[in-house]
Amino acid sequence: MLLSPTGMGWGRSALALWTALVSAVLLLPILFVVALSFDGSRWLAFPPPTWTVRWYSQVLADPEWLAAAGHSLAIATMVMVASVLLGVPAAFAIVRGHRSGRAAIRGFLMMPMVMPVIVIGVALYAVFLRLHLTGGYLGFVLAHLVLALPFTILSVANALAGFDRAIERAAVICGASPVVAVLRVTLPSIAPGILAGALFAFLTSWDEVVVSIFMANADLQTLPVRVWAALRLDLSPAVAAVATLLLAVSLAILAGLAFIGRRRA
Amino acid sequence: MRSSGLLLSLPALLFLALFFALPTLLFLARSFGEPQWGFGNYATLLGNATYAKVLANTFLLAGIVTVLSIAIGYPVAWALTLMRQRTRKLVLAILLLSMWTNLLARTYAWLVLLQRSGVVNTLLMQLGVISEPLPLVNNLTGVVIGMTYIMLPFAVLPLQATLATIDPVLLQAGSVCGARPFTVFRRLLLPMSLPGIATAAVMIFVMSLGYYITPSLLGGTGTMMVAELIAEQIQSFLNWGLGSAAALVLLTAALLLYLGFAATVERRAVITE
Repeated sequence: MLLSPTGMGWGRSALALWTALVSAVLLLPILFVVALSFDGSRWLAFPPPTWTVRWYSQVLADPEWLAAAGHSLAIATMVMVASVLLGVPAAFAIVRGHRSGRAAIRGFLMMPMVMPVIVIGVALYAVFLRLHLTGGYLGFVLAHLVLALPFTILSVANALAGFDRAIERAAVICGASPVVAVLRVTLPSIAPGILAGALFAFLTSWDEVVVSIFMANADLQTLPVRVWAALRLDLSPAVAAVATLLLAVSLAILAGLAFIGRRRA
Repeated sequence: MRSSGLLLSLPALLFLALFFALPTLLFLARSFGEPQWGFGNYATLLGNATYAKVLANTFLLAGIVTVLSIAIGYPVAWALTLMRQRTRKLVLAILLLSMWTNLLARTYAWLVLLQRSGVVNTLLMQLGVISEPLPLVNNLTGVVIGMTYIMLPFAVLPLQATLATIDPVLLQAGSVCGARPFTVFRRLLLPMSLPGIATAAVMIFVMSLGYYITPSLLGGTGTMMVAELIAEQIQSFLNWGLGSAAALVLLTAALLLYLGFAATVERRAVITE
């Protein structure tokens, strides 16, 4: 009996053991980076002979790392806002729009998800070079928005598809105009989906490397671009400290998404 | 509301048309126009031994990563369908966590773990499995390990979705009729989960074809992949024509796989209905 919980004997234990092993392998590299960032030796010995916060103080005292972190935060925030502004109306269109156009619009809007990121990166690089948009915030925001928008639209569309439209109609019957009904009834109801979409957009921008490599110049780099450049030179524990800071922000956002998901369920 | 559908999506459509579709088309067109009109870039790409090796490398890597991810992920997906809800939620949380945590941080971890004096080599030597450190990074081995690690969640999740829909009664019937566990797996479970395997395989293969960061950090001089070739041609050599030709080859391969896959699934659906 293979799919039933009883009577599979050792086969079931073997599957459980394998799953435990794979889960451990999935988690360990993430924990390993965190451990390395507190490594007291310069040579990335593991387990660390002594523990230290030296790498953090070194990173936090470096104006270039701090500037990169500031750029990353600013760009991710702008991408988040723009993604919601463009994504929410688009989600309405693909959930409630005319049946014939809906699928085509949806397909087009989701295309950046299936395109290899390197192709998007170089294609935008070519255009932005001519428009002098590389090395500036605008270039980063536009490029990251291409990648983030599909996630926001999907998240909002899912929330909207699960919303009972009768409630909105009831508001209209009670005298609200359709626009007021959407603004005061529908949008607050799907707020968790919008917030999730916003967080996905922020995370996409925060972690983005490939497109960012092409948007950056010597004066304007995001945190991942600097990590990428540093990794090609050496494996200094200072990079582990920055990687841990990157992870911390990702984890905080994932925790937020999990919290939203639980409250919705 | 009905007629305003297009209008509401207009800002997003216009944005992606201007900053995604148009730049991509303009870029791909350069493969036929630079340095001169024609198919010269494609002749160079396929005729030059170095570039042909990059293409072969990429498809080989994508193939290995696909097979490994599914071989490692299938038992996990299967175990997920057998677990109690709490355990299943925990494993799914770990999968999603690994999918969404910073790619650079995870690649950095493997870079350090796999180096000559890294944890993996030290552990293997202390266990007496090897006497000399193995070259695990800056070569194809490193890329395969790093990429398989990244693709594993993309194997487990679709496989789990398919396995969860299989009625356990069918398997029960199999064993009641006298089939041994392995026969039930080979004759019933495996064939019934084929659509899930195909979905996961196409997804992982196509995603692996275009990866840039992980192969270029964990790979060596002899393991260049298509994405690195594109970036190098454009950033270092300003050779837009060749870079764009490589990109079009990459996209065509991905598109053909998707279409071939969609056709197969449709045919299967027609047969089974």
